[in-house]
Amino acid sequence: MNNPVIKTNALSYYYSAREKTLSEINLRVERGSIYGFLGPNGSGKTTTLSLILGLLDSPEGSIEVFGQHLHSDRVGVLKKIGSLIESPSLYGHLTAKENLHVYRAVYGASKARIDEVLHIVGLGDTGKKTVRKFSLGMKQRLSIALALLPDPELLILDEPSNGLDPAGIIELRELIKKLNREHGMTILISSHLLGEVEKMVTHVGIILKGKMLFQGTLSDLHSFQQKGAKLLVNTSDNNTACELLRDHQPENKDGHVSIAFHSLQQVAKITRTLTQHGLDVYLISPQKNDLEQLFIDLTSSQS
Amino acid sequence: MSLIISLRSEILKSKRTSAFYFTLIGAAVIPFTLLVNILADGLPEEGKTSKDPINAMFNLSSGMNGLVLFPLFIILICTLLPQIEFKNSTWKQVFTSPQKKEDIFVAKFLSIHLLMVLFLVATHLFIWVVVLISHFLLPQFNILHHSFDAGKVLEDNAHAYLSTLGICAIQFWIGLRSRNFIIPVAIGLVLWFLGTLLVLEYKSSASPYFPYSFPAIRFSPLFSSRLDQVEWTSFGYSFLFLAIGFSDFRRRRKLK
Repeated sequence: MNNPVIKTNALSYYYSAREKTLSEINLRVERGSIYGFLGPNGSGKTTTLSLILGLLDSPEGSIEVFGQHLHSDRVGVLKKIGSLIESPSLYGHLTAKENLHVYRAVYGASKARIDEVLHIVGLGDTGKKTVRKFSLGMKQRLSIALALLPDPELLILDEPSNGLDPAGIIELRELIKKLNREHGMTILISSHLLGEVEKMVTHVGIILKGKMLFQGTLSDLHSFQQKGAKLLVNTSDNNTACELLRDHQPENKDGHVSIAFHSLQQVAKITRTLTQHGLDVYLISPQKNDLEQLFIDLTSSQS
Repeated sequence: MSLIISLRSEILKSKRTSAFYFTLIGAAVIPFTLLVNILADGLPEEGKTSKDPINAMFNLSSGMNGLVLFPLFIILICTLLPQIEFKNSTWKQVFTSPQKKEDIFVAKFLSIHLLMVLFLVATHLFIWVVVLISHFLLPQFNILHHSFDAGKVLEDNAHAYLSTLGICAIQFWIGLRSRNFIIPVAIGLVLWFLGTLLVLEYKSSASPYFPYSFPAIRFSPLFSSRLDQVEWTSFGYSFLFLAIGFSDFRRRRKLK
């Protein structure tokens, strides 16, 4: 296995003495991967990313980036990282190009690289328009251009699709896949939407209330989801349906019966059982397996 | 080299900011006032009687600048420049860029000094414009044929600059600490007013030790003989508060 680009060991952080914001996070981002860091708002994603980038001080545990502690060679490590943390960090009184010029020499990038990254994010023709006149989506794109300016080995993007329209989100997804595929960039991307990142990531980490609930490859996650898959059934007599399907751990709530299933053959069998016992089946559909449901499943599987 | 790169980055940021325009507008205040005065009432009395109109105009400018305008300019500029980062929420980008903390800090301080120098240079260029206009408006004085004491102007500016070094470092530290624009400006104005009162009104023996009094020392017959000592003290305060400011800046990683 490759050496991880980011490795945290029992990383914990307190914003205040009483409140533990992060609890023993063991994050491991493999070289060449696209790592989706998922969690609802306030779960500790930005805090973790801020700690990795040295924006917050004095955590418990350790952080290694490119195999070394950030503070042992802060400038050397940061030269290899492009980042976008929280909202866009841009100078409103400057144009897109001028914003990139501010950091061009700092990253040792060429002048041609500015046009290149602006072209990549589709902001090549904004001319003399200052950033304060940009839409939120344009600002987000420019922030991504800024993160790409050093042609980084590691790209850290915190909720990069905020403010992007659906087309922009799809473009961003394609861009991330392209950067990973063609430039070998390792990408750590945080989001609160599983559906948004699952089409591009190779690895997933799920954090809730400062604790890491899951970490593994996307296929590991899919296997887990499959295990916890539920079917929603609505029949003419849901109580009888619960009786008939008691082997599937049924739950009768909100006018539906929720039952566990593992294969499509099982769905056919369930339908047959219900109709053979004279029940009318009004609805049968897989339960929406979104992040919220996944959190519930993960939390219940851990308890 | 890394400091020069950081300084260049700071200069690029201040392009088209209020800090830059404020410097040029602030530098034009005294020359403009002088011009209005000349248009309304002719040459200043000092210029007429001494028959030395160019130096008289520069003296007037140096007095008003050194005592009032330049210290106030420093108080405002030390707040305006850090506000660029606060206003745009760009501190996190600054800290995640590969720059040493000391380079960021010193580059910001140097960019303030560049604006201070620009202010002084621009003031004198504007005064020269006033001299030229006066020459054509008041041909009877034949102004351009009078002497110009460049050494005296340079000396006055050096005094104005050195005596405000302490104020600059203190205000820079407060400006970096505060997301709020009003607080550092209010603190600076109150302390400057107090310092000026201590020298000119109360003639306090504490004034040669209070940095906000230093700009006024030159204009006090009682303390002006201690100007050298005061300027060294100003220099010392500058180092002291820069060190305190840097230790504070280094400690706080995430300035929101």
